[in-house]
Amino acid sequence: METVGSQARVPQRTYWETRVLGRMWHFFTSVRLALVLILAITAAVLAGTLLDQAPPSVRSEPAMYAQWLSRVEGTYGVFPTKVFDFFDLFNVFHTLWFRLLLGLLTVNIIVCSLNRWKGIWRTVFPPRIRMTDAFFQHARFNARYVMDEPAEAAAVTVKKGLKHARYRVSTEAEAGSVALYADRNRFSRFGTFISHLSLVLILAGTVVGGIWGLSDPEFIVPEGITRDVGLGTDLSVQLEHFTDEYYVEGPPKDFRSDIVILKNGEEVKRGTVRVNSPLSYGGMKFHQSFFGQTAVMIVKTKDGTSLYDGPVPLAWQTREGNRPVGSFTLGSENLEVWVMGPRSGENDPLVPAGEMRIEVYETSSGALRTATNLTQGTEQDVSGLNFTFVREGRFTGLSVVKDPGVNIIWVASALMIIGLLMLFYVPHRRLWASCKELPDGKTEVRLAMTGQRDSQITAEFERVRQRVGKELRGRHAEDDRGQGGNDV
Amino acid sequence: MFEVSQYTFLAAMVALAAGLVLYLVSVFGPRGVRALSFNTGGTQETDSFASALKTAGRYGTILSVNAFGFLTASIIARWIAAGHGPFSNMYEFSLAFAWGAMGIYLYFERQYDLRSLGLLVLPIALGMLIYASTVPDDIQPLVPALQQSLLLSVHVAVAVGAYGAFAVGFGAAVLFLIQRKKSMSWLPERTTLDEVGYRSVMIGFPLMALTIILGAIWADIAWGRYWSWDPKETASLVTWLMYGGYLHARVIRGWRGDRSAYLLLLGFAATAFTYYGNYFLGGLHSYG
Ligand code: HEM
Repeated sequence: METVGSQARVPQRTYWETRVLGRMWHFFTSVRLALVLILAITAAVLAGTLLDQAPPSVRSEPAMYAQWLSRVEGTYGVFPTKVFDFFDLFNVFHTLWFRLLLGLLTVNIIVCSLNRWKGIWRTVFPPRIRMTDAFFQHARFNARYVMDEPAEAAAVTVKKGLKHARYRVSTEAEAGSVALYADRNRFSRFGTFISHLSLVLILAGTVVGGIWGLSDPEFIVPEGITRDVGLGTDLSVQLEHFTDEYYVEGPPKDFRSDIVILKNGEEVKRGTVRVNSPLSYGGMKFHQSFFGQTAVMIVKTKDGTSLYDGPVPLAWQTREGNRPVGSFTLGSENLEVWVMGPRSGENDPLVPAGEMRIEVYETSSGALRTATNLTQGTEQDVSGLNFTFVREGRFTGLSVVKDPGVNIIWVASALMIIGLLMLFYVPHRRLWASCKELPDGKTEVRLAMTGQRDSQITAEFERVRQRVGKELRGRHAEDDRGQGGNDV
Repeated sequence: MFEVSQYTFLAAMVALAAGLVLYLVSVFGPRGVRALSFNTGGTQETDSFASALKTAGRYGTILSVNAFGFLTASIIARWIAAGHGPFSNMYEFSLAFAWGAMGIYLYFERQYDLRSLGLLVLPIALGMLIYASTVPDDIQPLVPALQQSLLLSVHVAVAVGAYGAFAVGFGAAVLFLIQRKKSMSWLPERTTLDEVGYRSVMIGFPLMALTIILGAIWADIAWGRYWSWDPKETASLVTWLMYGGYLHARVIRGWRGDRSAYLLLLGFAATAFTYYGNYFLGGLHSYG
């Protein structure tokens, strides 16, 4: 793609360098490889879009994954499921081979850019001014005029015309002959690099986020409670109030959490988190993600010692019945208590409104000790302990994120768009002119432009030709042959 | 305002259908004229018939410009009535898609004077409108995630621009593949069709990139994750990559021409898949 001129003494290279590295380099300079990689990645992403992807929580536990697989067998059939699983197609975006493809693409882009750098540099910071006669004759777009003045004067006129057409002009004069080179938007050549390297930058941004980013997508805080954020931070969050509003037609209108952010127990920020307006503190952002109900429970021993006093978030759903459910443990009693609320929006025969159903299990054996319903506000004896379901409350589910890579992503995105716009909308245009005195004292003026043949270049050449022609005509030139857009 | 939006929608549909008929007449009519003049030995009658065909084409264009105008009016009226841009349900989005396709198509028709391209793009826009008329058009209030009116309006405007450009590219590719070596007189030359296809991608590719970026910005604000491999996100990435493939195929020997044109067809299939993805993919973008 690049025409390399004569090169001074090539240093001696080892077999390894010329053969292996050289070949690898050459392999990665190929646009054909780029096409293959792009199509392969496209196919992979398509597979990941069409097939159900196992959520991370499922993937991390083999038992859950096996269960998940048996469920999708229902959709895809037993054998296809085995095949898809074998190729990791239920987890495309996190597999090694997908990352390998992205890695190869990155290397491809970098090598390709480096390889083209010199050639592009030479087209921008130029370039040859004097071209051969053959070049002018064979250029795709060319024009010829004959003028009654010396070459220098003609060149001044041509230059004026080109400047009017907003071209940057350089000249090189010899006796009886002036060569001109004119171009515009030359820096757009770098649009190729900008748009390609922005892709590398985007991938870099995801890597930075993956290494230094922190996140807890399901950080639950019940009303009135303060919880540590964890993730190695010294922050905690208190939920003062959660509000959900609905339109009269039914759909949700607003979800908001009034929260206080504390650092080492001291309030550092206070505000309202909404779906489209997170709260941030020190690079950590708090987003409204979900919400649900809690059951405020009090558990005491027979002699009045408090074992539990607080809200239990019912953040899960039972598989059968779709009831909100949550749990807490009574460590000293070696018990685990599951609390189940009524199914929303209808009369639930198992859990009537105003009641909570509890199931008490032994932590060690997992055996069910008791299952019963609690009525709000009354103390009840369950397995020798006093349980009270005090009232219902709310919890908020926040998504807590810190991603230092995200700024890289936005910068890269801006570069991508800028690069593409440069590439497509302010194309580099190059044009050569020659003013040569003929034996009869007249001067022959030639114009030539290079580029892919399309109607835009055709129109551009026509525009330049008219500009230059106008200047030349003012000086009694004869327009000998103008060939905007014709192949010669 | 809501009624204004409904009436202009109907007007757009009628104008588009009528325009399409005139396009058919003006593109295929000349063959009829030639057959006629062959039979009758060529007379004044056929001449006046040919000029009538030209007029038909001109009126076809006027009708499709009108259809575009009605669509614009319909979208604006609905925007005013609903208080937000056309991004909250499939009805609004289909209208916007038809609008994008018509707008970009008309630009190309003006630039290249090719009504045969309209034979492919107009039915796509009309199909969108017919589809829109089968889904509920009542205005629903915005759920919290969609309460991001400016960003989402721009997101959708940019997206339908991209989809519209890809529809034009699809049309150009189909005609390119029909126009084999043996030249068909009712079709533009292959070089022109190739150029139209490429230029549509020049418009669509950056717009699609911007669509994805704006979507990522929204996701970052709303959920704190700019990318979560959500099906709609991945589908638009597939579309974008497909056209990225096309742009490279065009500079590789052996891939220019037919193969590149097939990539344009695949790209448009991916576009349609992205558009209808809500239905069978679910995820964050399912409007319910
Ligand atoms: C997803 C990845 C990629 C994207 C989105 C992308 C995007 C683009 C775009 C938009 C163009 C402009 C086409 C035109 O002017 O018509 C282009 C051209 C090009 N790309 Fe890529 N590219 C990608 C990967 C690669 C890779 C891996 C290579 C390395 C071989 C590469 C090499 C080239 C070359 C050599 C050109 C021609 C440039 C020119 O004519 O100035 N691209 N690419």
